[in-house]
Amino acid sequence: MTAETATGPRTLAWQRRRRSMARFWRQYRTHRAGLVGLAALALFALVALTAPLTVGSGVTGVTDAPGSPLQAPSGEFPLGTDRFGRNLLGLVVWGSRVSLLVGLLAAVLSVVIGTVVGITAGHFRGAYATVLMRITDWFLVMPALVLAIALATVMPHSLGTVILAIGVTSWPTTARLVRAQTLAVESRPYIERAKALGGGHWHIMSRHVLPNVMPLVLAQTTLMISSSVLTEATLAFLGLDDPTVISWGGLLQDAREAGAVSSGDWWYLVPPGIAIAVVALAFTLCGRAVESVLNPRLGVAR
Amino acid sequence: MSPQEQHGARRSHPRSHRSRTPRLVALAGALALTSSAALATPLNPAPQQAQAAGDRVLTVAVAQSVDSLSPFLAVRLLSTSILRLTYEYLTDYDPGDAHPVPGLATSWKPSADKLTWTYTIRSDAKWSDGQKVTAQDAAWTFNKMMTDQAAATANGSFVGNFREVTAPSPTQLVVRLKKPQATMTALDVPIVPEHVWKKVTDFSKFNNDKSFPVVGDGPFVLTDYKADSYVRLKANKSFWRGAPKFDELVFKYYKDQDAAVAALRKGEVSFVAGQPALTPAQAASLKGQSDIRVNDAPGRRFYALATNPGAKAKNGQKFGDGDPSLLDQRVRHALFMAVDRKTIIDKVFQGHAVEGQGYIPPRFSTYFWKPDPGQELAYDPAKAAQLLDQAGYRKNADGKRVGKDGKPLNYRVLCHATDPNDKAVGQYLKEWWAKLGIGMSLDCLDNVTDPWLAGKYDLAFDGWSVNPDPDYVLSIHTCAALPATPKDTGATDNFVCDKTYDELYARQLAEYDPGKRAGIVKQMESRLYDLGYMNVMAYPNAVEAYRTDQIKSIETMPRAAGNIYGQDGYWSWWSAVPADSGDSSGGGSTGVIIGVVAGVVVLAGAGAFLARRRRATADDRE
Repeated sequence: MTAETATGPRTLAWQRRRRSMARFWRQYRTHRAGLVGLAALALFALVALTAPLTVGSGVTGVTDAPGSPLQAPSGEFPLGTDRFGRNLLGLVVWGSRVSLLVGLLAAVLSVVIGTVVGITAGHFRGAYATVLMRITDWFLVMPALVLAIALATVMPHSLGTVILAIGVTSWPTTARLVRAQTLAVESRPYIERAKALGGGHWHIMSRHVLPNVMPLVLAQTTLMISSSVLTEATLAFLGLDDPTVISWGGLLQDAREAGAVSSGDWWYLVPPGIAIAVVALAFTLCGRAVESVLNPRLGVAR
Repeated sequence: MSPQEQHGARRSHPRSHRSRTPRLVALAGALALTSSAALATPLNPAPQQAQAAGDRVLTVAVAQSVDSLSPFLAVRLLSTSILRLTYEYLTDYDPGDAHPVPGLATSWKPSADKLTWTYTIRSDAKWSDGQKVTAQDAAWTFNKMMTDQAAATANGSFVGNFREVTAPSPTQLVVRLKKPQATMTALDVPIVPEHVWKKVTDFSKFNNDKSFPVVGDGPFVLTDYKADSYVRLKANKSFWRGAPKFDELVFKYYKDQDAAVAALRKGEVSFVAGQPALTPAQAASLKGQSDIRVNDAPGRRFYALATNPGAKAKNGQKFGDGDPSLLDQRVRHALFMAVDRKTIIDKVFQGHAVEGQGYIPPRFSTYFWKPDPGQELAYDPAKAAQLLDQAGYRKNADGKRVGKDGKPLNYRVLCHATDPNDKAVGQYLKEWWAKLGIGMSLDCLDNVTDPWLAGKYDLAFDGWSVNPDPDYVLSIHTCAALPATPKDTGATDNFVCDKTYDELYARQLAEYDPGKRAGIVKQMESRLYDLGYMNVMAYPNAVEAYRTDQIKSIETMPRAAGNIYGQDGYWSWWSAVPADSGDSSGGGSTGVIIGVVAGVVVLAGAGAFLARRRRATADDRE
């Protein structure tokens, strides 16, 4: 017991966190689907991160493309070639970088906006919250994809635009969820005590509310990534991406423009399509597992 | 200015006409397309199915929508092609070699002073409501365009040089000119019936699409039109040149070319227009199909890289933000010398194009010009680098070329988001110029018109269809075509204004001797080439396809090897002969069957899934 008295509050907090992380992992391990999703994600992350070493940025070059346009899969090109004669396997590997990056950043942007709106609306209440929630409702009823397309069209075609377009249109669900949780947390007595001890708005929101909504935010982010990857692919497929950047959706758009759909050049369409589906599925599986571990209500129900 | 072509209109950066369609509309279309391109097409009831059996219908899939059906407003290729079919012009172009042949006028001759042209109007032509076509109709049409600003919207430049147009008798039309004009046998103006059109009050708003059938005198009569859906025409059995063999002609709008190709495979359409051209992959896969013929012929278009020469208006005011380094001819030449046109032909067009040389495509052999070996800007990256060094743009430590102000060269290239070729060529340019040490960003927009008119670009993909008479595509590079003020819209293509070129332009317009005129036109092309503002990379082929079990034969223009859709005349549709077994509604029913089967499968799958789920929850409850 002497050791424990010697440790400060900070160390104590860390110990607590480590313990809860271990508990989290023990529970997560019991979800087989979550593990499969995690494994798939790890694989994709590995492929994306090592792409500069395995395929190299040269794979996107058109002037020194190794093959002739639209070659069927062969020993030399396991997934065939695209309309420039580039190696499609390399392009799919290289495209994972952009697809994952955009999906990740857009999801983070969306969740950050949603969390800020949700916490402040839950904390401040009153006219401010009403106005903010009406804005949220408005975004909620707007079809997000149409809004994202409109945004991506009026702004220059680039990756930043796509990230912004997805992030700005997909935050309202997070905002609603976080606000509900904030209201629940703020009604607890210890918040009142913190206020009585002189805790200001910032202190309450950042020290008491945020840690309590964090599990929710984490689960929401994981789920949001999968929809962001899909939206990114959709926007790229509609030609709203930077055409010189290789992404999975962009490959599908290239295939469509080259007429691969009607001429039956399946190797141009199938690999990026499957990659998008698998990544979206993997993130969803992980998200569901995280959600059921972190949300006690879901845990009881099962 | 002078006679104009509206025909080819441009695939490029249209002016007022490529309308300011709100982008959202295009978007909504794009959205709809992704979900429905494959499904809705076969299920979409083809307009011809409503027709009585036995009618021979020719259905053409087009990727362009109609801007207006008024001859005074329409400028798009589809619209002007339809006007060609419904209104006879004074003269037509021979389908063989495009020399002027009698249309509504049986003969024509200029006076000795070159200023008075007399046309003899045929007496055997009738409007579709039974009235005779007279010279008075033609005179009224021209006079309307000369007096009413709104009626001059589309074809006004044809009459800009007209002093007076009269009809002394029903068969005689007299045009008096202010200055000699070499293009008097190439007046592409639809002649309209006075007795119908004199009732129109506001020509700027009247689109000629409210009451059908529309009175005309061409080989076909316009009978129905639905915006962004279809245009239906019926054969004019009493057409003076002879009745068309098909009973009906339908132009059906397909937003997605791949969907149109699928419809052709199914036999739902008889013809897929090569505007835009079929992609190499589509052409290759269609070539292997029985009952389908791919027509891959030299096109009438050029595909160029335009350079912003510093946009300015006629009043001398400069506007836009073109990169000042492009004002140096050496830089422009260097940029183009780093472009390997052969690779573009081989890789992007995959042989469905001819390497670019002069301004006018080789198909118009009279006016085709190519640079001398000494003048040619052949692919030579080493020489390009040398030119840039001479111009003072040397490489810095990072390998980037910098100007005297220390800023690295970085160009924006305006590209059409709807054109796959722009994007593909753009990627090549980016890599070629990167090797030179020049940065480049590809700005692909759905609507390039706004930045283009504002001069806010450095380089841009450009392309025009050329008419048998090249006057119009030459006129768009004269100083006279510049906008009056930065706020106005001029006929100019790329803000080029060059004195030498203008002098040559005036000379060719006043030259009535075809040989001498062609010589001057070639000098103009040479001048344009040297200036380096218009760098022609390729002449894309017209790649189109049709079903031989529905169309037995159809005339191309030129006859030897030419296009079918978008001709300078009505020859293709007028001459098309139906195949005996032409059954154009078969595809629709198979589409329906496929749809029904797919629906049943989906329902069955959903049912199975639900059943399983219910069982699962029941298990859980236990």
